[in-house]
Amino acid sequence: MINRILTMFADSKDLITKRMKNDDISIEVAYIDSLCDESKISEAIFVPFSRNFKPFEEIVEFSSEFKPIHEMTEWASSLLRGYVLIYINSKYYSYDASRNIRIENQNTQVESSIQGPQIALTEDLKDGLNLIRNRYPEPNLAVEERTLGVSSKTRIAILFDNRRVNDKVLKNVKKKILEINADMLHSAGEIVRELGGNRKQLFPTTLITERPDRISNSIAQGKVIILIHGSMFGIILPITFYDLMNTMDDQYESFWMSRTLMVMRYISVLMTVTLPAMYISIVSYNPELFRVQLAFSIAGSRSAVPYPSFIEVLVMLFMIEMLVEASVRLPRYIGSTGTTVGGLILGQAAQQAGLVSSIMIIVTSVVAISNFVIPNNSLAFAIRFLKYPLIFLAVFYGITGVCIGMFCYLVYLSSIRSFGVPYFRIHRKPARNAEGDLGQVSSS
Amino acid sequence: MRHLIFTVLFVFIASLVLGGCGFKDIDKRFFVVATGIDHSDNPNKPFRVTLRLAVTSPKIEPGAGKSQLETIDAKTIAEGVRELKAYVDKELDFGHCKIFMIGEKLARKEMDQAINWMTRRRDIQMIANVTIGHPTAEAILKIQPKNERYPGNTLFLSFGKEGTDSSYTVTEYIFGMRKRRTEKGIDPVLPIIMPENETYRISQAGVLNKKKLIIILSPEETQLYNQITNKYLKSSLGGNVEQDPYVLAVGRIQSRFKIKNNAQGKPVVEMRIKIHGLLEEAPKLVFDKDWASIEQELAKQYSKSVVRLLKKFQRQGVDPIGFGLKYRATHYSGGDKSWQEWQGIYPNIEFDVQTRVTIEGTGLIK
Repeated sequence: MINRILTMFADSKDLITKRMKNDDISIEVAYIDSLCDESKISEAIFVPFSRNFKPFEEIVEFSSEFKPIHEMTEWASSLLRGYVLIYINSKYYSYDASRNIRIENQNTQVESSIQGPQIALTEDLKDGLNLIRNRYPEPNLAVEERTLGVSSKTRIAILFDNRRVNDKVLKNVKKKILEINADMLHSAGEIVRELGGNRKQLFPTTLITERPDRISNSIAQGKVIILIHGSMFGIILPITFYDLMNTMDDQYESFWMSRTLMVMRYISVLMTVTLPAMYISIVSYNPELFRVQLAFSIAGSRSAVPYPSFIEVLVMLFMIEMLVEASVRLPRYIGSTGTTVGGLILGQAAQQAGLVSSIMIIVTSVVAISNFVIPNNSLAFAIRFLKYPLIFLAVFYGITGVCIGMFCYLVYLSSIRSFGVPYFRIHRKPARNAEGDLGQVSSS
Repeated sequence: MRHLIFTVLFVFIASLVLGGCGFKDIDKRFFVVATGIDHSDNPNKPFRVTLRLAVTSPKIEPGAGKSQLETIDAKTIAEGVRELKAYVDKELDFGHCKIFMIGEKLARKEMDQAINWMTRRRDIQMIANVTIGHPTAEAILKIQPKNERYPGNTLFLSFGKEGTDSSYTVTEYIFGMRKRRTEKGIDPVLPIIMPENETYRISQAGVLNKKKLIIILSPEETQLYNQITNKYLKSSLGGNVEQDPYVLAVGRIQSRFKIKNNAQGKPVVEMRIKIHGLLEEAPKLVFDKDWASIEQELAKQYSKSVVRLLKKFQRQGVDPIGFGLKYRATHYSGGDKSWQEWQGIYPNIEFDVQTRVTIEGTGLIK
């Protein structure tokens, strides 16, 4: 065995192979040092083998931890997952001694909740399954494991409640997963992109989440979940636009306040999309829309600005986008410097230098802040993009253009389907015990 | 798919031309805050157009509202405005012009052209106020009130709903003016602005027939006119009962009228007015007096003054309340016949005004 393995892994220094012999028997052992926990190996194999209180072949045969391998093709993949291969009595066994390096911090970081559960998924698939099974102790919960990616061989798990799931959606998802033939897959986002196929999507049609409570709720609604080994995020599908605008806190807090916050979120989406375009079209086409005071003060503060309104808008938006982008990537220590330099110094100075008007600074910051209100990151990204075509339309056609642009967006949103389920569906059937929210159109 | 993309792209590019020259930044526009149109005594150039242009500033402080005045004599108003463009460095914008003032002289002569221009021009909003300037619109526009925070503010607040709501101020919008000028049976009423120590006094109204200014009402008559045409109007009602002066602060006033034939078969306008209010001025110990008699006495005096005002309108052949319109609506007899009937009826019609005053309190806790 060792010779064969050595030819398979030609240049791997961390491949350890050993031939051992005790009083009764001789075995061959192979494992990849860097993937395995040495103490586990010595505890399970080396120590019992050398002490030989009990015949080692019996231990191997009866312990469930040692799994027999029948095919030679499985050798490489088992070794690469951190298994130890054992050759004993002309039989092959594998033993799981893998060592996973992962972040131990299990607090939610992306979707924090004030009074909801604070635990997040981890990068280990098993822990993730544990968290979800604990929250959804139903025998109907089906778990299917696969690997994705030709080289990366990422392990994923597909979870669903087989009593509540919509078969069409499930079949659709499975088909799409089979079609994936990417080389490397590491994150939930990549898998989502592969699931989308060739279509270039603007809006996310899946929900990437780190919250086990959200996942278990979705399973109860009959949705399909994909968990990825090595990623802290799970994928929920199919979803609606409404799901993306929803936070878990909406379900944990009192009715009226959470509804008000939801309305506020939708208003802020509208603002972040239309405000720059509306600024251009009102300032340059229809200033009579403002109150007189505002018109005069904008005219006054703009009189120092040498460029037309749309250049002013583009300059400011470019600056704020840079600021947002920089503060995402910067290490935490420099992060505050970035915002100080960008926000205070640039904003103030740009206005004093007469590059932008003071109203424009307000517009820009409202646009940025209302964009941050959107609870889902990938939706926030999509919506961040939406304002630019509108700006373009506003420059050429004024308010009419903005209205037509908004209409186009609505048409586009309504045409999207998330795995066969209408995406922009506002009406939501309340999830009852044995029913899921899966769209009346496709399931009928 | 590709075909569709090209079609969409083509339509988009082709429609780029449609935008035209509408794009003009707000700081490249000169906002007109008030427009005055006068008669210039020059037969070749009969119109004198005066524009009050706002000089904008980023700071809004009391007294900081500066404005620039431009005057020109022209053959027509539109020509005058076009010519004025050559005098200023930015595009004139009437979008925020809320006050259109017609000089008294022009109003007495002929104001057809002025109203026509206002209703046709694209950027003039139909909700702008039409007024009459006394003695001339130019003289009124020259006044720059000292406490203005931004140019034109004083006039805007006087006519708008958010500033003062004086019961002596009549307001009329362009659309209303147009309606009253074209509709048979109702005549326009315009407020008259008069200069007074660097500020304005807007306490009188002028009644017009379809063509020109006919009568100027006194402030008391203006208030009376306002009271019988509005519902919730903070106003006052005064009168003497047994030599004691009483003033009632009117909280709600409601009036309705019908046109009927009376017992003798003569047409009569029956007007019923209901007034609710608190006493603002009254003799001492009014609480213990009999309110009913005070109410009746005040009502009688009020009715009398209303009849006097209505008779005045009747004598001049104008109808600002809209009796004719009501008659046409309720006595339809085919085509234009009811209107012709009314023209025969109105000069001799009688007025029967009855008022019910309710005193809700004395304004004091006993």
